[in-house]
Parts: sequence; C-alpha cells; structure tokens
Amino acid sequence: MTREIDARGLACPQPVLLTKKALEDHSEIVVIVDNETAQENVKRMAQSQGCEVTIERRDGDINLLISKGCSCEIPDTEVTTQGTLVIVIGSDTMGRGDDGLGTVLMKSFIHTLLETSPQADSLIFFNTGVKLTIQGSEILEDLRTLSERGVKILVCGTCLDFFEMKDRLAAGIISNMYDITETMTGAGRLVQI
Amino acid sequence: MNQGTFHVILFDSVSSALLAEKILKKQGLPFKIIPVPRHISSDCGVCIRISSPERDRIETALTGKVEIQGICPL
Repeated sequence: MTREIDARGLACPQPVLLTKKALEDHSEIVVIVDNETAQENVKRMAQSQGCEVTIERRDGDINLLISKGCSCEIPDTEVTTQGTLVIVIGSDTMGRGDDGLGTVLMKSFIHTLLETSPQADSLIFFNTGVKLTIQGSEILEDLRTLSERGVKILVCGTCLDFFEMKDRLAAGIISNMYDITETMTGAGRLVQI
Repeated sequence: MNQGTFHVILFDSVSSALLAEKILKKQGLPFKIIPVPRHISSDCGVCIRISSPERDRIETALTGKVEIQGICPL
C-alpha cells in the first residue's frame, strides 16, 4: 500500500522525520515537497536506508517515490551484526603537521559525513576537538544536521571546562568519561580522527 | 545557506583554496569548504561551495587575487 506524505511548506528537518517515520510502517511511500533542499535531504535519508528513490516533478512540486525493495533487509542485518559506528575526534584539526591544512581537512571531513552511508551512530569530541562544537565553529551547521538525522554527539565536559568553553557549547551534549568510554568500548567499528 | 542550488569554485592547489577562503571570510561572504565532488574530479582536493545566486559577488571578490580554475554547478 502506498502512503502519501505531503511535506510541502514544512521546514527542515520535518520532511525527513516524517519520511523516516512513514518508512517504519510502509514499504512504499510518496513524499511531496516543494523545494530542492527538502528533496535532497529526503532522498539521501531514504537511500541511506537502502531504499530506491524515483523523483517526479509536477507543477512546481516534487514527488519522491520511495520503495524499500527486497535488498533493504540485507544491509540492515549487516549493520546490526557489526554494531555501532563511532567516530572519535580528539583534535580540532585533521592529522598532524600543518594546522591550516588540518582545519580545512576537518571541515571537508565533517561535510563528507553528511553524504556518507552508513551514517555514524555517534561522534565523540574531546581535547581540542571540543572547539568544533562551540559557538563560532565553522562546522556547527553540519553537526546540527547530523544531530537532526539521529547521530549522537557527545562532547567531553572535562575538556570544555579546561578550555573554559562550557557556556559556549552549541552542538551536541556535554558528556563524561563513563559515557564516552562505554560508547567507545561498545562500538562495532571505531574511527579515530 | 543550505537553500537552493550551489556552484563549486575549483582551484589549482589547496593553497589557492585556502587563500580564497581567507579572502571570502574577511569580506563576510557566505561559502563552505567541501571536498571536490567525485563526479568533477577523482583528485583528492578541496573546493569552495557557494550558493548559486552569490556567484557574481564571490567571483568578483576573488578575481585578481587568486587564480580560479573553474566554476561549475553542483
């Protein structure tokens, strides 16, 4: 049965959330949006879930036909057996050597996370990495988008305190070493930057 | 800045991209550093993504200061 979702006029991330919810109970849905950003966000989320997406334009509206297809179950189980994907960021630059280059690489990396599948389950920031999560950080918008898509963002409280930045946290939640350690040791795959 | 269509500005080197970033930041122009999209190049490089309507303003800001290799729609 095809379920229709009218997401016209809705602000981000509503169309994505509605789509995600509808996919839980239906194997075929049609999502109607009225702008390309919503179209891309919904498409990306559906594809990250292993769905097939067909786009049709009609009188200024965009219809996304999303179907789960039989291949959907396979990647799902694969991911489950592999456990959670955790990305650990312990520095505000990517790699060691040149900070200017490292800053650009980090921005580029976080942007790419938005487009990469499977999506990470958690991002953990510690040491100078926490500077990426405070007001004025150039990757805030990306972190907020990841967060809206369900990525858990843990920020080391001790580190924020050390740099006297606790009141400037702008993305993610303040966390402690217990949660951070448990998330890391419980991860199926851990990527350290 | 996440609305509508985008263009990417390509440079001949990472240093040029960094220089362009500095210039745009100084002028308060909106942009985002992203990896060069796979369909444009397989090289490992960074480029500057801009909102398409901002193209002229940003191109003017960079002209003469940093060499632009190309600007393409995303």
